[in-house]
Amino acid sequence: MFERFLPLDPLEANCTDNPMLNCDVLLLHTVYVNMFLSFCFVSGTAAMNERQYRDMPTHGIGRWRHLLLKQPKKKKDRNQQKELVSATDTAYGTLNVTVSGYDMTVVEHYSQYIHNFCNRLNIKVADSYALPTKSTEVLLMQEQGNKTYVDAVLKTHQRVIQLSSLNASLCPVFMDVILKNQPEGVQLSVQEHTEADYQARFKARPELEGLVAQINQ
Amino acid sequence: MAAPCRKMASRSYSQLLCCFSRTAVGSGACRRFSVTPIDRATPRASTAADRATSPWSLMAAVCLQRLPVITADCSPIEQRFKQMLQQMELEKSMLSDHELRLMEDAERMSRRQADDYDSDEDLGDQEIMMTQDLEDTWEQRLKNFQPAPRVRADVDEDLTSVQRCLTDSLVLLAEQQVGAEKLWLLPQAAWQEGETLRRTAERALDSMTAGVRATFLGNAPCGVYKYKLPKAARTESSVGVKVFFFKAILVDGTPGSAPTAPLLWLKKSELQKYLKPAYMMNVGRFILNL
Repeated sequence: MFERFLPLDPLEANCTDNPMLNCDVLLLHTVYVNMFLSFCFVSGTAAMNERQYRDMPTHGIGRWRHLLLKQPKKKKDRNQQKELVSATDTAYGTLNVTVSGYDMTVVEHYSQYIHNFCNRLNIKVADSYALPTKSTEVLLMQEQGNKTYVDAVLKTHQRVIQLSSLNASLCPVFMDVILKNQPEGVQLSVQEHTEADYQARFKARPELEGLVAQINQ
Repeated sequence: MAAPCRKMASRSYSQLLCCFSRTAVGSGACRRFSVTPIDRATPRASTAADRATSPWSLMAAVCLQRLPVITADCSPIEQRFKQMLQQMELEKSMLSDHELRLMEDAERMSRRQADDYDSDEDLGDQEIMMTQDLEDTWEQRLKNFQPAPRVRADVDEDLTSVQRCLTDSLVLLAEQQVGAEKLWLLPQAAWQEGETLRRTAERALDSMTAGVRATFLGNAPCGVYKYKLPKAARTESSVGVKVFFFKAILVDGTPGSAPTAPLLWLKKSELQKYLKPAYMMNVGRFILNL
């Protein structure tokens, strides 16, 4: 190993007859060992803090990760649909808590609050995403004429927190707290999650639909 | 996924779709709610042989809450912090479109007033309405708007009014005959065969108040209180009573034209004066003081 990184083999330098030089060589050896540690690239062989003596017969005795079969890296698809949990006698199924309002900071902070609250109560949060913003134009009639003019543009922001299952005994407590902490100007809605809700998040693909219609004709 | 299969159980099971909105005061002093139950499985009647007869009789009570309508006032520290944050945000923020237009207009005016003004330089159409005039009209409209008073002292004093103390959440209390005496309690009713405890609580609410619409927050009770009957009234089959509490949120503001029992809307701090100490200790555990 040493030969790869260092031109000089310190072991040969060790064999000197002069005992005075040996201590210097020992120091040199220590320095080279430290450098070896810093070049150590095999994963999981040893912690950087442990000293590994290559000459020791037990060198690398704890290594096991090289024995495992290499697993193929699977591509993590983030937009895979999560399993829809069905309701049981004691728990609700997949629920969507939707927070919507005009003020984005308030809406986002409230949704973060709900998420943290769920974590604290050990309610499993399946997903937490935002729906597209909807813009509403407010048109007012002019005082003098009949024409309307654009007065304001209001943007409605929506954030959804998907809970995978909610215990029925915990539900009143959970609902009570989030209702009491609801800020002004924010609408809260708790609904069951359906397949249609999931499909509504995708954009329509007109070419694909056209081709499918052509095939079906 | 395969269609979910629901097992029939002795308790009824209903799914709630709740929609809570905190918008401007539309109907009185309450938030608007919409509840759509999507599934209600009928309960399987439990036969007498299933249950061992217990000396405790069951009752269900409803903890009806009216949520706050307006924001609570900030404490002095909160006010100072809010001011500081607003100042920081103002200083860090960029100029808005309106402010940019104001600046452009001012610059254009100053250019026009200058001695060496050339009218050909002024390209583009003149805006009919200057931005400053727009701002003045908005200011005028704001002055014409009169908001309702936040706190009305006379309404706050009236304990039976549902519009009192708009910044706090209130709980409904009813005076009921229990045994020989009249007590102030959360509205309760005795459980009957074949109905769920939640249904009992709904019945209790309907009997105490007429025409009040409330959303129950779940099928599971939030608390229980049991008391033994006084020794004189105890028999073989009835030792005491267990009361299960269910939480509900007020939807409609009107408690009905003629309530059968005297009703009170109280804050949590005021409950102590009306409830018995043991009862208060139990009930205070699940009424949140938020």
